[in-house]
Amino acid sequence: MKTKKTFIPIVTLCAALFLTACTGKGAATTEKPQDSQTEASTEATGDSSTTLDDLYQQENQIFADHEDVWNKVFGMMNKSTADPSGNYADFLASTVESNKDAFTKDELNTLTTDIETIRKIEEQIAEIEKKDTTSESADANDNSGSTSPFRNFSGQDYDGNTVDESLFSGNAVTVINFWFTGCKPCVAELSKLNELNDAIKSMGGEVIGINTETFDGNETAIKEAAAVLESQGAKYRNLSIDASSDAGKYASDIMAFPTTILVDRNGNIVGDPMLGGIDNQDNYDTLMKQIQSVIDADSANK
Amino acid sequence: MDKKKKSLSQKTARIRGWIQAAATLLTNIHIPNLFKGKIYQGKAKTVCVPGLNCYSCPAATGACPIGAFQAVVGSSKFKFTYYITGFFILLGVLLGRFICGFLCPFGWFQDLLHKIPGKKFSTARLKPLRYLKYIILVVFVILLPMLMTNSIGMGDPFFCKYICPQGVLEGAIPLSIGNPAIRSALGKLFSFKCLILITVIVLSILFYRPFCKWICPLGAIYSLFNKVSLLSIRVDGSKCVGCNQCVKACKMDVDVCKTPNHPECIRCGACIKACPKDAIHYQFLGGACQQKEDSRKPQSTDNN
Repeated sequence: MKTKKTFIPIVTLCAALFLTACTGKGAATTEKPQDSQTEASTEATGDSSTTLDDLYQQENQIFADHEDVWNKVFGMMNKSTADPSGNYADFLASTVESNKDAFTKDELNTLTTDIETIRKIEEQIAEIEKKDTTSESADANDNSGSTSPFRNFSGQDYDGNTVDESLFSGNAVTVINFWFTGCKPCVAELSKLNELNDAIKSMGGEVIGINTETFDGNETAIKEAAAVLESQGAKYRNLSIDASSDAGKYASDIMAFPTTILVDRNGNIVGDPMLGGIDNQDNYDTLMKQIQSVIDADSANK
Repeated sequence: MDKKKKSLSQKTARIRGWIQAAATLLTNIHIPNLFKGKIYQGKAKTVCVPGLNCYSCPAATGACPIGAFQAVVGSSKFKFTYYITGFFILLGVLLGRFICGFLCPFGWFQDLLHKIPGKKFSTARLKPLRYLKYIILVVFVILLPMLMTNSIGMGDPFFCKYICPQGVLEGAIPLSIGNPAIRSALGKLFSFKCLILITVIVLSILFYRPFCKWICPLGAIYSLFNKVSLLSIRVDGSKCVGCNQCVKACKMDVDVCKTPNHPECIRCGACIKACPKDAIHYQFLGGACQQKEDSRKPQSTDNN
């Protein structure tokens, strides 16, 4: 009987454990709406781009419908006078106007009606593009709203030269790799990170290593880290930061190494941190894609 | 019709489930972390816990001794770990596989699984598989991390990386639920180890503690100390009537009367509970004390 008495609480505990397991799953599902949200927003932008495509298609259709006349017009165009920022319809009209004599009356009529339709389409396009840019700038505002741990950055390289947040402003993208000396997968990717640094240098990117053992200018740790870096042929910059700084706290919270993050020109972290070494080709490709998108976004902002 | 008072040994054996629950809670004290998908990384993580309990469990209080052993042995700085070896010897000499029976969270997990009703199978015919855990200890915990190293002498924690189901159960699964970055990093290795975990779970329902018997390198280490550990099980020859109830009750396939301190004994106390004559009990500090106890014990029980 007594054993049964102990059984019952054990079974209840067991049930409780299963319940906690369920709440764990609950947590996972609560995260899902976020995913679907981002999906939804990409869908929305997808929509606008499809309507944009539609509108451009309509314009092309107009040109195709009266192919003969329009080809005549295009032949008269002077590429150097083309001004992409100006109104396309005005541009077309002026081209037609300056070469009036070359067209018959019928031709001129079709051209002017076509130009008017194009003018309307252009207005719609302008509206959609305006919306997109405002939403983009809103996103950018969101990013700057949350304080990045790399906004006020200070550190030292292993030769003792101090570095501040200008480290980031000089490049479109900075790849920060967090590692520690005793971490085998971290060491395994060092040579690949060096390759990456060479590859993105010309694109306006740089790889920075932060070894969590070298915090606060710990000299023995820096020596060990430097020796490991040299043995792996890694020549990119490694920095020692203060454990109490924002960046130091960010690094101390990392629990899986190696972790690699991307930081933009303004010191903002872009995207999610990547776990695992880039000596794995899939990881390398994913990271490269993200780097490319940060660089693209940077050049778009200029 | 006088009711016999339960001996301390019997009481201990009866509340084993509670002790296991408490030990599991103490080795995984940071419960809120389970929902955050973070692991505790404070100072206490430099200390080992006695049982097999993954360092990467979000709730874990300390480090897994088997994981720590591999990490140190496999690092380029050290060739051998005196701290953790000393820890094994200390706990082994003090408690032996009492740790498996009472303190190990993964042992408790298997105990609970075995309570799921259904057909149960005996492992008595599978005794040779017991030696597998010693092979795993030598090969995966000691030799491979020590010898399979990269150019600067760093090895992988092979047991943790390729075998340990506790790591998946406590580490990978809760972390990947709570942490999207880790979830995105899961790959084939995770699937493989999930398969191991599922196998262990299914086997645990059918057999009693298959992981402890056949796989666990930590159990293998503690088993070496079972014969000399200060905490031991003693069969009182003068009381034993040779009914063999203890042998029948033993789920670790130990012949209790002949070898009460067999390496496979996890001190679960099933034999103590089963003995109709109260001839089996735990004792701390054997040898010399045992003789005195013998002379005193009959008198004291008579007085009761």
